[in-house]
Amino acid sequence: MATGNDNGYDIRSILNQMREEYWEALSEEESEAKQMLECLVFTLGGERYAFETHFACEVIRIPKLIRVPAVQSLVTGIFNLRGDITAAIDIRPMLGLAQPELGPTGRILVVRGDLFSTGILVEAAHGVQPLDLEQFETATAGLSAERKQFIRGHFNLEEGAILLLDMEALLAAPELLVGEA
Amino acid sequence: MGNRYLEIFCREAEEHLASLQSGLLVLEKNPARTELLHELLRNAHTLKGSARMVGLADISAITHTMEELLKGMEQGLRRVDAGTIDLLLKGADAVALITSALMRGVPPDIDVERFVAEYERGESGRLLPAEPLEAKAEGAVADTVRADVKTLDNLVNLVGEMIINRKRLEAKLDGLKELCYELPPEKAAPFTAFRGELEEDILYLGFLIQDLHEKAMGLRMLPLKTISDGLERLVRDLSLQLSREVQFEIEGQGIEMDRVLLDGLKPILIHLLTNALSHGIEPPEAREKAGKPRRGSVLLSARHEGNSVLVEVRDDGRGMDPAAIKAAAVSRGVIEAREAEGLTDEEALYLTFRPGFSTAEIVTDISGRGVGMDVVKKNIERVKGNVTLSSETGRFTRVTLQLPLTLSVLDALIITCGDETFAVPATYLQEILKVRPSEITTMGTDEVIKVRGATTPLYSLAGMLGLPARRDAGDAPLPVLVLKHCDQRIACIVESHVGYSEVVVKGLGKQFGTVRYLFGATIMGDGNPALILNVPDLFQPGGGAPRAVLSPEEEAAARRRPKVLVVDDSITTRTMEQSILAGQGYHVVTAVSGEDAMEKSAAESFDLIISDVEMPGMNGFELTRLLRASETYQETPIIIVSSLSRDEDKRQALQAGAQAYIVKGAFDQGLLLETVQMLIG
Repeated sequence: MATGNDNGYDIRSILNQMREEYWEALSEEESEAKQMLECLVFTLGGERYAFETHFACEVIRIPKLIRVPAVQSLVTGIFNLRGDITAAIDIRPMLGLAQPELGPTGRILVVRGDLFSTGILVEAAHGVQPLDLEQFETATAGLSAERKQFIRGHFNLEEGAILLLDMEALLAAPELLVGEA
Repeated sequence: MGNRYLEIFCREAEEHLASLQSGLLVLEKNPARTELLHELLRNAHTLKGSARMVGLADISAITHTMEELLKGMEQGLRRVDAGTIDLLLKGADAVALITSALMRGVPPDIDVERFVAEYERGESGRLLPAEPLEAKAEGAVADTVRADVKTLDNLVNLVGEMIINRKRLEAKLDGLKELCYELPPEKAAPFTAFRGELEEDILYLGFLIQDLHEKAMGLRMLPLKTISDGLERLVRDLSLQLSREVQFEIEGQGIEMDRVLLDGLKPILIHLLTNALSHGIEPPEAREKAGKPRRGSVLLSARHEGNSVLVEVRDDGRGMDPAAIKAAAVSRGVIEAREAEGLTDEEALYLTFRPGFSTAEIVTDISGRGVGMDVVKKNIERVKGNVTLSSETGRFTRVTLQLPLTLSVLDALIITCGDETFAVPATYLQEILKVRPSEITTMGTDEVIKVRGATTPLYSLAGMLGLPARRDAGDAPLPVLVLKHCDQRIACIVESHVGYSEVVVKGLGKQFGTVRYLFGATIMGDGNPALILNVPDLFQPGGGAPRAVLSPEEEAAARRRPKVLVVDDSITTRTMEQSILAGQGYHVVTAVSGEDAMEKSAAESFDLIISDVEMPGMNGFELTRLLRASETYQETPIIIVSSLSRDEDKRQALQAGAQAYIVKGAFDQGLLLETVQMLIG
């Protein structure tokens, strides 16, 4: 008989909580100095995009993708992520972007949502950068409706703008779900 | 019913028994406090209902007597005295004894049958041991341990990973062999020797993994007996209800299958046996007239065949009449009259599997009517099985289910198609052919080939799956798979077949729901995934095979998951109904009382409501009336599931506005499902 131990004492979750509090305390200290947002920066449709690092699990080279028949074109294929079958998705049409071919710089950003992990195909990944919130503008005027839905704003940097993706909204988008629930 | 339900029942019973005990003891000291009786009555009643749900007739009988005693006291027909309370306490003790024995999987410590008989006569249970609850708890420590099912599943998964890893090692070994060939012979010698040793090591590792895999799978395997015990009871009860004389036999009770598969098999067998009794076996007089023994025979048998298990249900009843089936199918609009004429007798039998073939004119509690065979077929597809029918009018009906031993590892043929690799479960594979384009003929717009003399529709697998297809010109032979599902055969052109392999089944992850054509994925020796095809989908409408096409509305309805609200104060009933319905893709929300149901039904909208009658607070009839009075639920179908079986109760339910009434005693999940499907599809 399975015995539920929900309210039991679980060392792992306590440790996790301690670690989270520790990191939160650290980032608070930092934010007092300067409001920075840790972001993963990458190229999509020729433009630079970013999202907060806490959504990202890892960045990998694009492995062989196995096409899945009769599903939405968003799902480019599936791949083996250390034993877990994971989808590789091309979100560029969702953002109304062009789809230049993915060359040798192409990467998959593995992100974790509440329900599932998925791999986002990007043209290039530029690593983690702290982005200055002073330079952030929420203004999304001029963006088409479909882009507004998933874009929170942009950072005006000297070397050009970086758009901040709304990962939460993106991962919750029903377009991402494949097949019948 | 499954062990899971028993567990839930036992836990629920503990609560009710505890409150019965304490309530009765208070009453014994203060006989004037008759207000306690109502709560006690409810405890006994709920216990009775839940016991019936899980098929525990003894407990149901004992609690029934208890209920009667309590009712007598409440209505003032019986004195609240020590004797009666003692009798009630003895009843509670006996129930506790039986449930605790059930939990431990041992026979109870009393002669249950005699106790029930004596208890019904009002004799206090002198058969009960003095210390019923504590007596056996200190029993000898058995040489088994209990393991969480999840842990077992994890173990099997890990072994699956090892199998995949072994395959990768084997692939590397092949790579090494190639490298050796490329070296000049004098340098190659040490490498070749090294390779040879490595090969032996990997071979040995392979043996170990194989052994480990079998042991790990063995832990998940249970004998058919675990589900067949309840079936004897079902047949016995049904034959009494239907006035049939039946000899029920089970062969191959020891055949073991994956726990998950057994869970899926049970409702199928309940369906088939119910059918055998209500449609197969004739009344004794009719049998005598036909020159058959009065007593009909129903045989459930299981045996191994290759890597699968064959489960058969055979009855020597009136058989299936192809002509009558054709006529019924035509009158119910399942097929066109012209199509029916073209069917052979064997093909006609399979018409019963078509959706819409079983229609029920009235919904009542006993399933003396066409239990939906399409539901059976759907269930079999879920467990990757195949079904064949054979029958001779007036003599017998035989339904044969071919099931895999497990769902976590499959025997599959690896094929390539549209530049991708797929695994085709071997259960569905009839044969592999080489077909020359000149052997293909066209019928209308379809291509067909002859397979052993039978005209078989031919498709390009790539085309069916919407993958790029290429067919070279010329008369080079094409590899063709002949796939079978029930009575249907289709032939599929593939690019090539690579050979048979045991594949470890992996889910596609939570981003994927039920995806058409796909059963799951596996990981090949090169580390890349390959998709496992769900072959029955290739036979479905739109998949290419000639079948009735759903109207756009029907398709839209099929895509949406209907929402069902289950209202019952018994957790056993709630859980059972929820899992039965959720298993068929319904979205189920539960409520513990009428009040709770009103709240939940206001917060979101439901397509169907299933309610108990007797609940604390508002009862099911009141709930039905309230729902009918509200604007949103004026038309929503409501099913009453209750242990009250009097016609008066049924009439009251219908007057309140319920569409159907199911009695818990005769409860089988097929009936509930069918009723739900009939009302909301």
